[in-house]
Amino acid sequence: MSLFTRPSKELTVRIDEFFDTIEIGILIFKEGVRAYANGDHKIFQDHLNKIDELEGKADKLQRGIENDMIIHSILPQQRSEFVKLLWQLDEIIDTAKASLNEFYIEMPRIPPALVHDFISLAEVSGNAAEELMPAARAFFREPHLVREKLIKVYFFERECDKAAFELKKRVFHEMNDLSLAEKAHIRYITHHIENISDTAQDAADLLASMAIRQML
Amino acid sequence: MIFLFITSGLFLGWTLGANDAANVFGSAVGSRMISFTRAAVIASLFVIVGAVLQGQGASDTLGRLGSVNAMGGSFTVALAAALTVYFMTRAGLPVSTTQAIVGAIIGWDFFTNNAVDGKALTQIVSTWITGPLLGAAFAFVLYHLVKVLRKRIRIHLLRYETDLRIGLLVAGAFGAYSLGANNIANVMGVFVASVPLENTSFGLFTLTGSQQLFFLGGLAIAAGIITYSKKVMQTVGRNLLELSSEAAFVVVISQALVLFIFSSSALSSLLSRIGLPTVPLVPVSSTQVVVGAVLGIGLYKGVRNINLRLLGSIASGWITTPVAAGLLSFFMLFFVRNLFGIDIGHSVTPVATAGEGVSTSLIVRYSIVILLIIIAGYLAYMVLSEKKKTDRLNRRYYE
Repeated sequence: MSLFTRPSKELTVRIDEFFDTIEIGILIFKEGVRAYANGDHKIFQDHLNKIDELEGKADKLQRGIENDMIIHSILPQQRSEFVKLLWQLDEIIDTAKASLNEFYIEMPRIPPALVHDFISLAEVSGNAAEELMPAARAFFREPHLVREKLIKVYFFERECDKAAFELKKRVFHEMNDLSLAEKAHIRYITHHIENISDTAQDAADLLASMAIRQML
Repeated sequence: MIFLFITSGLFLGWTLGANDAANVFGSAVGSRMISFTRAAVIASLFVIVGAVLQGQGASDTLGRLGSVNAMGGSFTVALAAALTVYFMTRAGLPVSTTQAIVGAIIGWDFFTNNAVDGKALTQIVSTWITGPLLGAAFAFVLYHLVKVLRKRIRIHLLRYETDLRIGLLVAGAFGAYSLGANNIANVMGVFVASVPLENTSFGLFTLTGSQQLFFLGGLAIAAGIITYSKKVMQTVGRNLLELSSEAAFVVVISQALVLFIFSSSALSSLLSRIGLPTVPLVPVSSTQVVVGAVLGIGLYKGVRNINLRLLGSIASGWITTPVAAGLLSFFMLFFVRNLFGIDIGHSVTPVATAGEGVSTSLIVRYSIVILLIIIAGYLAYMVLSEKKKTDRLNRRYYE
């Protein structure tokens, strides 16, 4: 517990870097889904490699931040909650990477009629996670602004649920030319894309309660 | 021989250090913002400095209440106060060293047929009420200022926390200084008149007889801090006062300010020079000021956060502690004089001839007033808690 040296300064930089990594990871995920849906396999492969690298970096940063917080006894009262938040943010990039990996391994066939729906679904799900980052950054400087920034997260999460519901309904009710296996496969991939916004919502709930406690 | 007689005061100092240092650094250590070693070193050092430099004022007021003029009497009075604190703490009752020593001195006054100085008693008793109130007022205002300032400067949470950590250390040092300055009177005040010590020169500075006593008392408080306060600090930090770092900072500053105000002769003379009423230099209970400060923060956050039971326990301590200490002191003095034949002091201002002294009936009158305040507080508590219960039931019904 050093007092006059400022471990917090270095930690602040690392936390910002962690947020940057998650944010870029989400953008890469959206682009990756777009590339796959459009059949640009080379670009998809590049995005897959990139997100793999970013996920590794995020894990490393997350562990480093946690260690530093314990060693220098930083935020002792909120540490467990903050560590949980980091874990949930990391979960977002983990889920994004896992989704792209599933595209790579399982190579789901996306019917041309669903390309646009898939891209929109990834876009909306990614947006929910993306909107979480300004709120997470605001928590450190302006906790009173966190709540209003989180409104967009909840909005996009609801939109994502709706888009996924419509997509699945369309697949099972209208696309009779697809086999049941193909339909189930699309449902499974859709569910994975949806998971990103759900994880963002869980992180948003935690962030909201942390911000309220900060303001009391 | 002198050392033997002041052991009871040193014991009282030790208990004060063990318990009251937690009011200064408890929240910071309990929440692991500051390590115990660092807190103990700073608290010990500043308690001694405060006691030696600024302990005289509060000690003089206590001396006016009853100038115990024999070492045997001082020993017995301090021991009675220490035992009261010890047993009441063990019984889980709210207790304050300040109130215990006041009760014990009054016990000596009664036993030796000395008149109790009404003015000094009024000053002391009034600070038992104003101390926590002032603590609450300071905490309310300071907490508001800290919140507004933080919102304005948009400081990063981690940077803010680092700054708070330094702030807690500085506030803790100020708190320890004020604790030493104000509460040394409880520990060594009763020995000032009875223990004749010559002024001693150390080359660069000279310590008066009472300052030497205060230094010894400061050392005893420091010993209490180092040897026994760790457990108390951790308990206070985690259980009683589970505060955020900034609230802890505000509480420590508020407590330090109140104790400083009630022990600073410089501030008192400054107020007198500019024509304002002076502040009485009186030992106040640091625990009760801290509870007052916590309530002040509770008030800022909303009345619902206030634990009214705490107020009741403070008020009950105003009566039970001095009465218990007074009775114990009276009986111990009886045994010390009659069983061991030790001189416990003599009458200086007998009740019958004292101009400004107060009779027993006046003390009874004060006690009745305080009792009425307690009853009123208890009734208010009952009404509020009943209202809360009804509201809760109504809410549940409508939900």
